[in-house]
Formats: sequence, C-alpha cells, structure tokens
Amino acid sequence: MSDNHHVNYKKIYFWLLGLLVVSVAGPFIGIGWVTLVTAFGIALIKANLVIQNFMHLRWEKQLAKWVLLSSLILMALFVAGVAPDVMNHEGNNWENLAAQAAVERGIGDDHGEGGEAPDGGTAVVAAESGVFNPGGQYNLICALCHGTAGDGTGVGGAAFDPSPANFTDPVFWETRDDESIKTAIRDGGPAVGVSANMAPWGALFDDAQLDEMVEYVKTFRPQGQ
Amino acid sequence: MSFPKPQATLRSATGIPTGRLAVWWLIASEVVIFGGLLGSYVMHRLGHPEWADAAVHTNTWIGAFNTFVLLTSSFTAVLAHQAAEAGDGKKAAKLLVLTMGGAVTFVLVKASEWTYEISHGYTITSNMFWSFYYTAAGLHALHVIAGGIIMGFIALDAYRGRELQRVELIGIYWHFVDVIWIFLFPLLYIAK
Repeated sequence: MSDNHHVNYKKIYFWLLGLLVVSVAGPFIGIGWVTLVTAFGIALIKANLVIQNFMHLRWEKQLAKWVLLSSLILMALFVAGVAPDVMNHEGNNWENLAAQAAVERGIGDDHGEGGEAPDGGTAVVAAESGVFNPGGQYNLICALCHGTAGDGTGVGGAAFDPSPANFTDPVFWETRDDESIKTAIRDGGPAVGVSANMAPWGALFDDAQLDEMVEYVKTFRPQGQ
Repeated sequence: MSFPKPQATLRSATGIPTGRLAVWWLIASEVVIFGGLLGSYVMHRLGHPEWADAAVHTNTWIGAFNTFVLLTSSFTAVLAHQAAEAGDGKKAAKLLVLTMGGAVTFVLVKASEWTYEISHGYTITSNMFWSFYYTAAGLHALHVIAGGIIMGFIALDAYRGRELQRVELIGIYWHFVDVIWIFLFPLLYIAK
C-alpha cells in the first residue's frame, strides 16, 4: 500500500489515551450501566480506532474484511450456540446442580480451596485455609488407580502389572505399617520396594497431611486386622 | 547462501500483497481463538454473579498502566510503518526497538502483577474466575512475547534497509495484540 492516507497518528493516539482515562474513571461514578458503557462501549471505540487507522483496514481491499468478518461470524455462532446452556442453570427438563451450588456457595469455596480473601492481603493458600480433606484428595489423586473403594480396581491402573494395591485385602496389611504407607505416598513405590507405577506425591502434601492420608487409607482396612 | 525471494514478497494475486493477506488470515484465526475464550468467559461470568467477589481483587491501575503501554507501543509501531513506507529503514528499526521496549515493559509489569497475586494465594486453580484470568491474560502475554521476538528480526533487517514491507506486517499483528488487550482490560479489570 503506498501510504498516503493522511492519518494524523498522533491525534489518534491521544484520542486513545483520552478514552482510556474515561474507561478507568467510569466505575468511580458508581452507576452500573455507566460503567458498562465506559468499559465496553469505549473498548469498542478504541478497538475500532486501532483497526481502522493503525491496521489500515479502512483502505484495505474488501477481501481482507470478508476474511475477518467470516471468523467473527464463526465466533458469534459458537457463543450463541452454547450461551443458553452456559448462562442458564436450569431449563424445562434439566438442572445444572453443580453450577447452582457454585452460585450458592459463592466464590470462596469453589473447588474446595482458596476462600474469600480478607482485605489487607492476608495470604489465602489451600494449605492454610484450615480444611484439609484427605478423602477428597484420595478421590482426586489415588482413586484413579486404587479405586474409590480402595480395592485397586481404578481404571487408571487396569493395565498395570502388578495391579495397584488392594487396601481391602488382609494380605496387604500383613506387610505394611503406617510408616511404609506414608513413605510410599511421599516417595513412590520403589522407596518401599514395590511397583514404580506408584508415583511419589510428596510435593502435594506436608507431613501432617501425609499422616491424614495414611489414616484415610487405613479406613479401607478390613475389620479385625 | 542465497534463497529465491519468497512468493509473499513478489506476488499479489488478490490485489493484497500475499504476505499481508497471510497476516489477515492469521488474525482471522486468532479472532476465533481469543473470541472463543473471551466469549466463554463472558457467558460464565454472567451465569455466576459470585465471580464478582474474585474480580474485585484484580488491580485496575496495573491493568490501566499496561493498556497505556500497549497503546503507546501501537503508536510507535504505526510510526515505524510510516518510516518504512518512506524508505527510511534505520528510523523504522529504531521505532520497532521502541515498540519492543513496550513489549518488555508489558511483560515485566505482568510478571510482577502475577507474582503478587500468586503469592497471595490467587492461583490458576483457586476457582474458575482465576482460571480464566490466568488463561486469557497468559495466552495474550505469549502473543506479546512472540511479537516482540519477531519484531527484533524484522528490525535487524530494516536497519540494513532490507524487507521493509515486513515492518507493516508485524505492525498489523502488533495492533491486533493491542486490540485483544483493549477488550481484556475491561473484562478482567473494570467490570467488577
């Protein structure tokens, strides 16, 4: 493109900066719809200024505009297609219980960690939130191979030889104690002379949490053992 | 070593130089990638009013500063294009280096912002809001980094007066990265 568009780039740039100030100032007025306009209305104006004047789409051949428009249409189709399912949490014949529960709980407990951060920047990390749930961790990590019932029949371990340990088998408990189970969880199977398919998980748990995991595994132990 | 000139440099079957047409196609594909991600975010956000509790913790001023940085780097990128059109490769190269400075500033600001947030317990697994936050801004930051690196190669060539048409091509890409941020900024930092 021989560039004689006579665009005053500096003027466009200052317009963009002015609009940025407006979009930051918008929320201070404190009216919901004003914020929406200053945030997203102005974003559209800014984007248009950049696209037309900096990317020179105004002077570009029609073909380029069609290329861009076609992908915008694809995107709109995608959004329109899934929006009814994503944005509603119930319909005539269905209910999204998980989403409803998430709204109910609020953001703090979503996925069972994090938590509403108190202002002032107090650290909120999973380990410090006070609730460690060994059963949840077992189901998340261990159950894939050891099965939710602890019987070693999880799908993830179906092809392993030897099979994943069966915690409901009395024979298993004859050769194990708390310490060896804790070591296996922390350092992996080879650390206690069993299969390397048992991976080390020590990075995920601190010492106290490892003890809780051991206690949880022991809940699968048959009575009388 | 000598290579034949690439087709993109010589041919223009559509009336648009082939290299530039390729950049438009690239951007069209990026529209779908970012559009899908941001569209998903908007839909989930509207369906989950409780996300506002998380969004409140993003820092508007850092986001605004980075918007300023990208707008400014877009300005220098378009000036580089103007210089290249005028045949002044050295000036174009200098302006591209300034633009790269914008890219570096943006990434450094983003890195310190994320360090602060992660050290305060807001991680990509904290909840769905933060998952979107790190995914969208992270994908965008990768584009900033990639653009900055490519710009370096083009600036080297431009300084020697070679391949000046590429200054426009990296500029178009760079403005697009700017446009994405123009939408990310209100989505992640302003709409609380």
